[in-house]
Parts: sequence; structure tokens; C-alpha cells
Amino acid sequence: MIRIAAVGDVHVDKDVVGRYRPALEQLPYRADALLVAGDLTRHGTVEEARCFAAEFGGLAVPVVVVLGNHDHQSDQQSRVAEVLTEAGITVLEGEATVLELHGHRLGIAGVKGFGGGFAGACASNFGEREMKDFVGTTEVVADRLAAALLSVQVDALVALTHYAPVPETLVGEPLEIYPFLGSYQLGRAIDSAPTSLALHGHAHHGSERGRTPGGVAVRNVAHPVIKQAYNVYQLLSDRTDAELAGVS
Amino acid sequence: MNQIDEEYLEAEIQRLLTEDGRVAEQGITVQRREHAVVLLGDVESDQRRDEICRQIAEHFPELAITCDIGITRAQAPSEVEEIS
Repeated sequence: MIRIAAVGDVHVDKDVVGRYRPALEQLPYRADALLVAGDLTRHGTVEEARCFAAEFGGLAVPVVVVLGNHDHQSDQQSRVAEVLTEAGITVLEGEATVLELHGHRLGIAGVKGFGGGFAGACASNFGEREMKDFVGTTEVVADRLAAALLSVQVDALVALTHYAPVPETLVGEPLEIYPFLGSYQLGRAIDSAPTSLALHGHAHHGSERGRTPGGVAVRNVAHPVIKQAYNVYQLLSDRTDAELAGVS
Repeated sequence: MNQIDEEYLEAEIQRLLTEDGRVAEQGITVQRREHAVVLLGDVESDQRRDEICRQIAEHFPELAITCDIGITRAQAPSEVEEIS
């Protein structure tokens, strides 16, 4: 059994430091790792990254994050990632990391992701250069996510993004802005690997639960959606129970 | 405010909420009532909620504003969801 804590869109600045810490200090009793689905900061400044590192760093469990669109706002995303890495936080962008937890290997592949929309209502890689750049960006990012997911041999595999891979977890947002909240290309990447769980944020008015066409559980962990410091998800419990049942 | 300006008011408010560096919020819903605007959503601190209301009041002094913005709770969870 592995327990994963997850939250997104915490938008930390100096006014937020200390708000999450009491709940984060309880993490070792509740989960084996913490995943944060982007929008760690308000404007993506180095100062805000230091605030995030102070609030979410130095915990007794591993912390793995992707950046979100807010973390790109000041064009300092590389420095932001450096500050987080120096604080012991794993930042994923087109890579995977493996955590050894209770004898299990948990793989986490992460990208920020991008928009584009969903089947039947999505942008196409066609026309003006700006439109091809927009959709082309999503295609590149989705390919990197698929490659990262397939790069590890693990017992449980989690996809971590900021943008949404399915429309079900956007329900509550205006339909008109779905193409700016996620892309089916991310869902296709997730379905191309033996993914156990996909976590994302970005959609503050969205819904918590969805599933990819391939059957992978999707959870929108944006803070305004889950309305607590983090959610906890349990993986690998069914298999263990089934094995025990088989033995008996 | 003339009729055309009224039509663009919601867009102007949304631009202010997102693009003004003092606010930078994408998760606030703007509801138009006949003579008022209601702001709905959740932010991370009291200061951010107060700054939103201050900015909207300053830029649109003729509007009556109801600020129903809450502060997202940050307590530890009490339940675990099993993923299968």
C-alpha cells in the first residue's frame, strides 16, 4: 500500500507562509509522499519560490512538483525550479522520478502540460504560425509526458500535470474556456502507459473526479476544489488484498 | 456608463483580476446583477480578498460591489480515497 498526498494551485507568497504548515507537519502520519500539481506561486518570482520552499520544503516525506502557468508569469521558471531543487523538492518537466516506499516502487512522471481542448472541440495544428505554435506546444509536451511515463519500471505509476487531461474534471468551469484548461493529448499520453492515477490542478471551479478513455482515474486537486491542505490517495491496496485473498 | 461600456464591463473586470500584478487571480467569477456586481470564488489569504475588492472599487467607482470571496481552508484531511 502506498499513500500519496496531493494538492495544486496553492499560489504561495509571503502572505500564505504558515497557513499550510500545520497540516504539512502531519504528513508523515497520513501519506508517504506529497505531489503538488503546479501554480506553486502567484507570479513565478524567485522570492515567491523561496516562500513555497519554506512552506513545502524540509518535510519528512518526499515532495515532487510540476510548475504551473502562474509559475511562468515572470519568465523566471528556470530560477524558480532551481530554488525548489536546492530546497530538496523534485521538480519534473518531461521527466520521471522513482520513489521506494514500503518495498514498492512508485513512479511519478510530470509535465506542466498546456491547453488545446478536448475531442470534438479542440484547436488544430493548422493555419497561422501562432495557432500552430499553440497546438504544437501541447503536442510536444504530451509526447514528453508519454516518454517519461514509459521510461520507468514501477509498481504504481502516477502522471502529474498542471493542465487537465480530461474534460470531466473541468465540470463547473465555463465550457468556453475548456481549451485553455487542458488537452485530450495529455489524456492520450496517460493512456499510452500503465498509469494508475493522473493528478492535475488549474481548474479552480472544476470537479474532483474523472477518468480517461483508457480507464485511468483522474483527480483535480486544485486547492479551491479539494478545500483542504491536501487529499490522500491510496494505491496498490487492491492488489495486496487480492493476493492475500488468493493465498487464503 | 453607456450601454456599450456596460457590455464590456465584465471583460474589463476579468482582465483586471488576472492581469493586474496586485491581484493575479484567474479563479474569480464575476456575476452581473442589475445595479451591482457580485464577486465569487476562493483565494489564499484575507489580504488577497481585500486587495481584489479595493482594486475593483477603485477602477469602477460607480459600481455597487458584493464581495463573496472566501479563503480556502487549509486543514489536514480526515479521509483517504482508495484508487482502483
